[in-house]
Amino acid sequence: MSDNQQIFDAWLAGKISDSECRAALQNDAEWLSRLHMALTIKQLAAAPQFDPVPEINTSQMFQQQWGRKKTAFTWWPQLSVGMSALALIVSLSPLQLQSHDGALTLRWSGNNEQQIQQQVTSMLASYKTEQQEYLQQTLQLQQQQQSAQLVLLKDYLTENEQKARRTDMLELVEYLNQQRQSDWQYWQDNAQPKQASLDYSPDYRGKRTN
Amino acid sequence: MFKRSDESLISKALDGDERAWQQLVSRYQSVLYYYSLRLMGDPDDARDLLQDVLMVLCRNLAQFRGDSSFKTWLFGIANYRAMDMLRKRKPVTDIDDIPEAVDLDTQSHEQQLSQAQTERLVKQHLTKLPPEQRLVVELRFYQQFTFDEIAVQLAVSSNTVKSRFYAALDKLKTQLEVHDVRQSANF
Repeated sequence: MSDNQQIFDAWLAGKISDSECRAALQNDAEWLSRLHMALTIKQLAAAPQFDPVPEINTSQMFQQQWGRKKTAFTWWPQLSVGMSALALIVSLSPLQLQSHDGALTLRWSGNNEQQIQQQVTSMLASYKTEQQEYLQQTLQLQQQQQSAQLVLLKDYLTENEQKARRTDMLELVEYLNQQRQSDWQYWQDNAQPKQASLDYSPDYRGKRTN
Repeated sequence: MFKRSDESLISKALDGDERAWQQLVSRYQSVLYYYSLRLMGDPDDARDLLQDVLMVLCRNLAQFRGDSSFKTWLFGIANYRAMDMLRKRKPVTDIDDIPEAVDLDTQSHEQQLSQAQTERLVKQHLTKLPPEQRLVVELRFYQQFTFDEIAVQLAVSSNTVKSRFYAALDKLKTQLEVHDVRQSANF
């Protein structure tokens, strides 16, 4: 595609003006003459036409082709819109339907501030009671957990104490045994030979026979 | 007033709503008629073409899928019918038989006169173009379709449309030059 064709296409697309296009194509007689011709036709096309438009029986055409179908009245979209509007009105209005003691009452009450206040107070009281119960339950649970933990701690400490005492006693017994062993050894090594020498000495032997 | 879209009117017409059909027709009837008049160059032929296109439209209304705009689709039908009629018809009438469409009484300046004369000649010579070229000029300038849209309507490539368009401009220029030479020779 030549540059001049691009310029001409840009003019056709309305991207550049007539004068800009004419100036750009000044040196190309072929494209300039095409532009002049196109401008003339464009001007012709812009002129309105006033020739009378003939009447054509399009109704008959339609009846022949599509006339078998009757326009079906689609009632459900209207019904849907109507019901939605009714629901909106009922929900926004002070209209009230109440069932009390087996009786159904439809009321249009605008001044029910006192009732609302009562409801609010009652709901607040109910909320307060709920909160108190919750706190009480939480406290009880906490206490139970604490006492259970204390019992566990007591058991642990008692068991530990017993273990320590048993270990101490065992150590003491072992120590005593070791002492006794040591004493016995000392007696065997020192006291026993001396006793023997005394028993078999002549002085002592005479005394003993008497 | 809220204006219904073409698609909405078609949908209603397909449900049997004749008013929607009439509304759709009235939207495009005059455009189609002037298009036919320019292409055929004769009011009776233009009327026949208009009737033919509307009948085909009515018969094929359910075929519109909305892939392109309704106008593009409608002109696709119109182009096909117009080309068919133009090919069947004998060559166009002589230029001299075509009445002058421009009223020059109110134009006083020489330049305006010359311009009006050129426009009249161009209008006359447009009817002498080959049908394919005439159709492209019509769709590009009068219906203001883009080359791509015209290509879709005529089921040809965009480059083919462009080459037909440029050939039409060149041919018109040549015809006008020949006309000028003949005028000069007469003097």
